[in-house]
Amino acid sequence: MIETVKLSKIFKGKKAVDEIDLYIDEGESIGLLGPNGAGKSTTISMISTLLKPTSGDVKLNGKSTIKNPGEIRRILGVVPQEIALYEELTAYENLKFFGEIYHVKKNILEQRTQEVLEMVGLKKRQKELVKTFSGGMKRRVNIAAALLHQPKVLILDEPTVGIDPQSRNHILETVRKLNEEYGTTVLYTSHYMEEVEQLCKRVYIMDHGKVVAAGSKEELLSILSSEDMIQVTLSETSERVVEKVKAINNIRRVDVTDKSLRIISKKGSSILSDLVHAVESEAIHLTNFQMEKPSLEDVFLHITGRTLRD
Amino acid sequence: MFPLMKAQFKKDIRSPWLVILLTIGSILFTFIFTDLHEQTETTVPIFSSEPNSREVEEKWEPLLNANQDYDFVITDELEAQTDVEDGKSEAAIRLSESDYQIIAASNTQAVQLVEDYVHSVFTKEAQLQAASGTGNVDTTREKVNGYLEEAPFQMQTESIEGGEVPEYNMQLQLLFGFTLFLAMFTIGFKVNAVTSDKVSGVWDRMILSPVSKTGMYAGHLFYSFMIGFMQIVIVLAIFNYVMDYDLGHNFGMILTVAAVFTLSMVSLAMLFTGFIKTPEQFNMIFPSVMPIVPVISGVYMPPGLISHPVLSFVADLFPLVHAIEALMDIAIFDAGWLEITMPLVLMLLIGVICMGVGVNLIERRTK
Repeated sequence: MIETVKLSKIFKGKKAVDEIDLYIDEGESIGLLGPNGAGKSTTISMISTLLKPTSGDVKLNGKSTIKNPGEIRRILGVVPQEIALYEELTAYENLKFFGEIYHVKKNILEQRTQEVLEMVGLKKRQKELVKTFSGGMKRRVNIAAALLHQPKVLILDEPTVGIDPQSRNHILETVRKLNEEYGTTVLYTSHYMEEVEQLCKRVYIMDHGKVVAAGSKEELLSILSSEDMIQVTLSETSERVVEKVKAINNIRRVDVTDKSLRIISKKGSSILSDLVHAVESEAIHLTNFQMEKPSLEDVFLHITGRTLRD
Repeated sequence: MFPLMKAQFKKDIRSPWLVILLTIGSILFTFIFTDLHEQTETTVPIFSSEPNSREVEEKWEPLLNANQDYDFVITDELEAQTDVEDGKSEAAIRLSESDYQIIAASNTQAVQLVEDYVHSVFTKEAQLQAASGTGNVDTTREKVNGYLEEAPFQMQTESIEGGEVPEYNMQLQLLFGFTLFLAMFTIGFKVNAVTSDKVSGVWDRMILSPVSKTGMYAGHLFYSFMIGFMQIVIVLAIFNYVMDYDLGHNFGMILTVAAVFTLSMVSLAMLFTGFIKTPEQFNMIFPSVMPIVPVISGVYMPPGLISHPVLSFVADLFPLVHAIEALMDIAIFDAGWLEITMPLVLMLLIGVICMGVGVNLIERRTK
């Protein structure tokens, strides 16, 4: 349906997006995961024709959208990262306005407005000014405004940044419902891996403008299939104990958080006795030991050497 | 275009105070400043320090007050000097039997005008004195006045159309000046909504919608035009029909000039928008620059006082000076379409250039 071909964008000599190739099939739910500044927003701005690529192409059903953006714009619903609403108007007035500019027919606009308000859980507060809403409620209206014209493809650019858990859950549930029940194709960007894990069947991981990994969740997690994740809690930590643990054979990485050590070791290697010995030699007690399933965060860490929130 | 205008209108209905305050401001400023203008223009204190001061003052006071533009008032010497020092009077005159001395804090244009006038009165009196010799000056004056009434060469001043030369009305100039000046702010702040939409992301949403870019710009600019023009119409209509100001016989032409002015101001505000990045920057820069425009355009002063070529050139780049010229020509001199063609064309030219450059700058930044 939509694909990008060696898509690049250079801002003042710096490559924000570097020859990325991705494709989205109809009805799919795709995640674009990466830390801030990875190039996710620039990529979706180019896909949605708001930004012209420096090189490369965006194709809709095999046809380039760069010279003729009208076709892709008709099927797109874009939820920008910022609150793109008139805060001095009510939620209802905002939706009416966006419905009108999208040429939603007058006789169905009222019904559509009520439907999307219901979908984002703001039907009862539709007559209130947007400026009086909480951050989460504003983000829900922001999403509703992109749904009025019933887009086939919904692009969401970090729609849950800085909001309360209740609104976040509501947004995630809305997106899931749109994809699973209404068959809307979803391209979801975020730096929260839990959201992408929860919503998306396929994930592109971006860093420094490049796609560093891509595939289904299972495929990505299999990158770490040769490794074990171990979470160890100690009575206290010190630099010496960390150094001793790092020196154990088959341990590939050790990250320290508070009184815990997150250890990545070669799969199937028996490090437990060496670990206990290293810890106790420093007169420290091992209070908890847990094997963990790897997450996309671990995949990102494995590929880039840093966390998504770095 | 229409949904966009409707949305802007709804926003303004919720908070209409900017337009209301600027409309009231136009009316108040006109009242306050026309009143001040009347007061400061006329009164000139006069006194004499001669031993026969009373006699000297009584001799010159009626002669000086023969001109209606000035009101020469016999004042105590100390009081006259204090008035000049405090800036209450531009100048005071120390009178002698056949001479005078101007007392002024600085040599302003107004002081020069007073001096020119006083000099002409004293010169004329000296000539009558010389012509009388040892005879009575008043008798000579009567003879000269009688002779001048039926002089062999009669001079008559007429307007171009052959009628009486109309008197310049500063009050009217200030009315037009303040009305257009405050409308400039309303127009600027309304056009600033383009930048607000760009920063908030609403603009991008509109780009993705079926609305064309022309429709997006037209919606914002036509709305800004409507609000600015309505403000001008309301103020001028109040002064013309309620306050009984004489705005001439052709209110329709006045409104046409106001419409062209509004159009060119919308374009000028677009040019500003092209240079700035955020609505906050616009709110800082536009109100800082705009108050200079009426000053260099000579809106607060009688015509001819701004003679510096550079200032005149800069003023000509803004539509205000051309609008005032056209409005005054219509209101005072009963000018027709032909006489106001030039200012109208200049305003339209400013409008076209500013709009072209402004939109290009905005679009270039987007790319």
